[in-house]
Amino acid sequence: MNRRYIDSRRIFFITGGILLGIVILAFLVSLFWTPYDPNTTNAATRLLPPSAEHLMGTDNFGRDVFSRILSASKYTIFISFSGVAIALVIGTLTGLPAGYFGGISDRVIMLLMNSVMCFPGILLALVAVAVAGPSMFNVVWALGIVFGPTFARVYRSGTLEIKERDYILHARVMGVNPVRIMAAHIFPNLMSQILPATVIGLANMTLFESAMSYLGLGVQPPEASFGKMLSDSQAYMTRAPWLIIFPALMLVFYILGLYFISEGIRVNNSRGGIVR
Amino acid sequence: MRGKNNSTIRYFLVRLIELLITLLLVSFMTFAAFSIIPGDAASVILGPDATPAQVENLRQELGLDKPLYVQYFSWLLGAFTGNLGKSAAFGVSVSELIAQRLPVTLGMSVIALIMVVVISYPTALISARRPGRLADQICSVLGHVLFAIPPFVLSLVMILLTSSLFGLVTVGRYTKPSENFFSFVGCLLLPSFCIALPKIAMTFKFLRSTMIEQNASDHVRTAKSHGLSDLMIEFRHVLPNSNVSAITVISLVLSDILGGSLIVEQVFNLPGLGRLLLTGIARRDFPLLSGMILYLALITVLLYFLADILTAIADPRIRIK
Repeated sequence: MNRRYIDSRRIFFITGGILLGIVILAFLVSLFWTPYDPNTTNAATRLLPPSAEHLMGTDNFGRDVFSRILSASKYTIFISFSGVAIALVIGTLTGLPAGYFGGISDRVIMLLMNSVMCFPGILLALVAVAVAGPSMFNVVWALGIVFGPTFARVYRSGTLEIKERDYILHARVMGVNPVRIMAAHIFPNLMSQILPATVIGLANMTLFESAMSYLGLGVQPPEASFGKMLSDSQAYMTRAPWLIIFPALMLVFYILGLYFISEGIRVNNSRGGIVR
Repeated sequence: MRGKNNSTIRYFLVRLIELLITLLLVSFMTFAAFSIIPGDAASVILGPDATPAQVENLRQELGLDKPLYVQYFSWLLGAFTGNLGKSAAFGVSVSELIAQRLPVTLGMSVIALIMVVVISYPTALISARRPGRLADQICSVLGHVLFAIPPFVLSLVMILLTSSLFGLVTVGRYTKPSENFFSFVGCLLLPSFCIALPKIAMTFKFLRSTMIEQNASDHVRTAKSHGLSDLMIEFRHVLPNSNVSAITVISLVLSDILGGSLIVEQVFNLPGLGRLLLTGIARRDFPLLSGMILYLALITVLLYFLADILTAIADPRIRIK
């Protein structure tokens, strides 16, 4: 019985790591080298199928799909990580005090957060980006705000649980100031809950980001992004299915890899891997 | 007995008040967001060539020169009576535009929701009966993988498959519900399935773990030792107890389904709210955008409320607490 769980945890980490590794490798490579310039168009090489010269073929502008995929993974990773960072900051600043102080401040903060969650997230992000003008940075902060309340909830429920513990009571009796209690005593102990939420957040944010760039409101052309590559190639997809297959695969690899890793962490936690 | 009734009524009342406050906050946030951004409906309607005097006249006509709180209350009052003002880009009333496009988005959401319930329940039951067996392993692995595929990517793959394997044209086919309801539903089936699939995976996962927990619980063991048949146990003991977590999960996926349908409509080229939203965005039609956001948020809030009430009905412990 015990044996099986250990195995399943390992399988999650290994497959997740491999899938995520592929995308991260693409990202690292793209920083230094791409076989062709990802944004240079060339009429002579339109819609070529995959070959030794163009590993993943070329698109309707004659751009090398492999180079574009390398470059797109850069944006996907950048946007998801910085968006989650913003959401984490929002979540920490709202969820922790709400859980710790309780009472009126808790009610008000959570009511605000819940009202933000009432908007279908993608709608909020789309409109925010549309109004502020589509650009990568606007996507990042819009997604950060949309995902903030989710983290606030995780922080709040974790804080509610931890603040009842004896060592917190002890610290309070000793007259430690609340900010220090939250920062030094509660925050580090929330990691086991925040970590899987962060990894899932990265995956969900990528789902949103790709949908937004599919609609043309994400990373702006001529820069490559998975969503935009998919929407651009939709018209050619029966003639040139490689235009759909490769970006779609990379996108799924990234999301699935993150998801598997979070699942691995979850199983690990519930098996007593980390004391809760 | 009387005390119990009182607590039930009180629970519903508190929830109702919370609902109203949330609605008010949602409407206020929507209004505030569109008030602080530069550019207003008047300049959008008149275009870039308008003289300042013309813009000023129209602003007066639209009531944009009044103080913000007056504007907010008249907008809110209008929202209750279904009058959200005129779209700047289309020149038609916003409610009319929304009403025109709502059938597609709502239809897809409802069909997707039905699919989620109809598919995730039986698969979770089968999986949870014998965890770790082949059927469970297949369902679980499929669930893990499907969860990670964005609906629009799934749609593209489905379009590719249906067109190249079966020669079916699935894009841009649309019949109005007033013309032929069944063919309207037919057009929406594949897109709805693409939205539903990741959510089925999610619901399945939650249901499966709840049911496994239920199967291992004392009351199920007692029922078994009393000689109840497996089928009886599943339907009388496991299912009702799983409903509570099912409702919570399903209410969580609802807003994702709604948001997903906005995107998937675009892939399948269906005339729903998604395309209206993009037109509104492209033409900076603020009355239209704020109206759409308000209505969609309203639908979501009401659905959450409904889910809360259903949970309370399914689980008496919540009411009494």
